[in-house]
Order: sequence, then C-alpha cells, then structure tokens
Amino acid sequence: MIEEKVTIINKAGMHTRPAATIVKLASKFKCEFFIYKDGMNINGKSIIGVMTLAAEMGSEVTLTFEGEDEKEAAAEIVDYFRRGFDEL
Amino acid sequence: MNISQKSISRKEYITVDYLVENSKDLFKLKLFSDNSGFDRKIIDQNLHRPGLALAGFVDLFSYSRVQIFGNTEMRYLSQLSEEKKAESIERIFKFSIPCIILTDGNQPFPKLIELANKYHITVFGTPFSTTKLIYLVGDFLDDQFAERISLHGSFVDVYGVGILFIGKSGVGKSEVALDLIERGHRLVADDHIILTKKGEGILMGSGTNLAKHFMEIRGLGIIDVERMFGVRAIRYQKRLEIVVELELWDEKSEYTRTGLEENTVNISGIDILHVKLPILPGKNITVISEVIGLNYLLKHYGYDAPKLFQDRLKKEISKNEKEQDLRGVKYFEHDFE
Repeated sequence: MIEEKVTIINKAGMHTRPAATIVKLASKFKCEFFIYKDGMNINGKSIIGVMTLAAEMGSEVTLTFEGEDEKEAAAEIVDYFRRGFDEL
Repeated sequence: MNISQKSISRKEYITVDYLVENSKDLFKLKLFSDNSGFDRKIIDQNLHRPGLALAGFVDLFSYSRVQIFGNTEMRYLSQLSEEKKAESIERIFKFSIPCIILTDGNQPFPKLIELANKYHITVFGTPFSTTKLIYLVGDFLDDQFAERISLHGSFVDVYGVGILFIGKSGVGKSEVALDLIERGHRLVADDHIILTKKGEGILMGSGTNLAKHFMEIRGLGIIDVERMFGVRAIRYQKRLEIVVELELWDEKSEYTRTGLEENTVNISGIDILHVKLPILPGKNITVISEVIGLNYLLKHYGYDAPKLFQDRLKKEISKNEKEQDLRGVKYFEHDFE
C-alpha cells in the first residue's frame, strides 16, 4: 500500500475538470485508489465521490493506492496533483 | 468487505453556535445571555444537572457537559440571598461550562445573566420539561457524536428494506440501483454513503450534502435521480439491513446454496446480513435484489423458506414409507389442462 499526502495548489481547487481527469487516470489502473479528506475516504475512481470532497485550494488530501500496479498509479496521479492539475 | 480505520470518524466536539444553528427549532431554544460564549465547545454527549455543585459540592462536577437548570435548581437559587446567589453561580461558572439550558419555561434572574455574560457562558431557555429536554438534547448529541462510517456503494430502499450494494468500481452497482428505481424502489444515495451508528445495533445510512441524489452512469455521465424520476424515487435516510456484495463469478469462491445459515458482516461492531452475489450472464441482479428484500421481510415476519424445506425433508425421511410417489400430485384426476 502506498500512502501520499498532497496539497491542492491550484486556485480553483479540485473542481469538475480535474476531478474527471483524476478518475480517468485512476480507472486505467487495476489498483484500488482512495482519497481522504476530513473524515471522508472516497473511491478515487468515482467522479461523484471525488467531487463530493469539494477540496479547495490549500486543503490537504491523502491518497492511498493498493494493488498490483500501485507504484505506476501513484507516480502518475501524485504527479498530476503536484502539477496543480495543469492549471498553474 | 473490509472497512479501513480511516473511513470511520467521530466528531470531537461541536460548538455552542453549531448547537444553536442546528437545533434551535428542535428544542425551542431562546437566548437569554449574549453570544460571547458561542465558540465554547461541547465535547460530551451526556447532560448534567448541577444541583449539588450549586449547593457547594464541586468534587466530581461534570462541568464539561451541557448544564440543565430545572425547577429544582431554579427554586434553590431563588430562595438564596442575592449575595449567596452570586456566590453559588460563580462557583460553577469558574469551571469551563459549555452552556446552560433553563427548562420548563423558567426565567433567569438578572444576576444570572449578568454573571453569564461576564464569564462568557451562554444561557438558553426552553418551554420543554426537564425530562423531555434531556431526552431531546441527549438524542441530538448522541447523533452528533456517533461513529460515522463512509463507504463506497449504492444504497436503495427495496420494499422498505435497506439494501447496500458494494463491489469493485465498474461492477454495476449504480446500474442495479437505477434499475431498482425504475421498478419503483427508492434511492437513498449513490456512490458515497455515510453510515451513522444510532443506538445499539442500528446503522442509519444517508448520502452526502453535496451529492444528494445525483448518480453517475458510466458512458452517460451525471444524472439527477430526483428530477428525473420524481420525489417517489428517493428518500433521505434508511436503516441498513442487508449488504449485497456484487462480484464477478469466481469458481473458487463459495456461494450460499441453501440459505440455512446466514452470513453477516461486522460494521463498526454491528452485524449486518451479508449476501455475496456473483454476476453471471443472464442473471438479473435487480430481480434477485427484490427477492432478497422480500425474503428478508418473510423471515422478519416469521417465515423461513429454507428452514421449512428442511423440516419437510426431515419429515419425509422419517416417514420411511416403502411405496412413495415422487410426484407432487396423487394422480391426474381427469384433468388434462
């Protein structure tokens, strides 16, 4: 299991477009992917779940990956968060 | 089915401000003091009547609880001299009390309000009797401080039975839920479900504030179930009764055949009926879900089909008859229909 803490750094936060991209990225992989914020641990492969978090700029979320291709998934998804969803 | 510790949360406190915002009408609270104590935290779901503390015994005083002043407390204070009154109140106000509620329509005397404002302690009044208010506030705080479990799945009320569908992403939970809605059942929430422990042995499920009755259907996108199917297709909360786990057919996995023994899954200390359903071509999960709901109801009302079948089998075996007709009828009495 890989666990990674990331901060949302783009101005608009985790809105619809990045949420959709995250789900799309995650769905490519077989491993389980969860995003945790404020007592909610949601499935990162579901768009409604990701949007439910309503993560604003500056908020911290924890990503967990578990499964056979967890390394590849973590590398790609964590990088997408660190790039500020390409909105910087 | 495993629930990670991370998915279980519990509120550590609520502020007095939160209590007012969310329960003003519920408890018919009237504010007597100013709001300078609104940021105080309530960390205990129990309530306290500070009779003894007012009288002078402050050992073991449960000051962190919401303090209830009933007729006894008010009558005791009112018969004291002004000086003693102030002394008695200040004695308990030195502790960090979250707030005070005067029950039974009791009115505060000026000194109480003056000291409450000085020590930044909020004083409310309510027309409810002490017993009634303790019951109401206790229930509200129990709910606020209850364990909450967040889960991924679809939660549907099928014939009044709360069925939670779980399974891997893309296995078709939302599609089953949608199918059930089409057939007249009611959606509680899709995708992200929050279960709240209510009392002993009960889990209540609801959706999140933001997602409400929105649902994602893969290949289609997000739909609004309430708008699309109307108010009959939804409900806001439901007790969880059965967990149905959908999974792709696995030859190695064992599935229930007779239904004589029931499997349960433990969610936060509560055992919930657990049904594992393999997905196969030609298998209508929706209809099976309805049957699961109906079967649960039958059992609930005392009819247990597998057990009855077992009893019949036992009876048949013990009869030990030599000549038996395997057919379910004696003979076809001139009936060629």
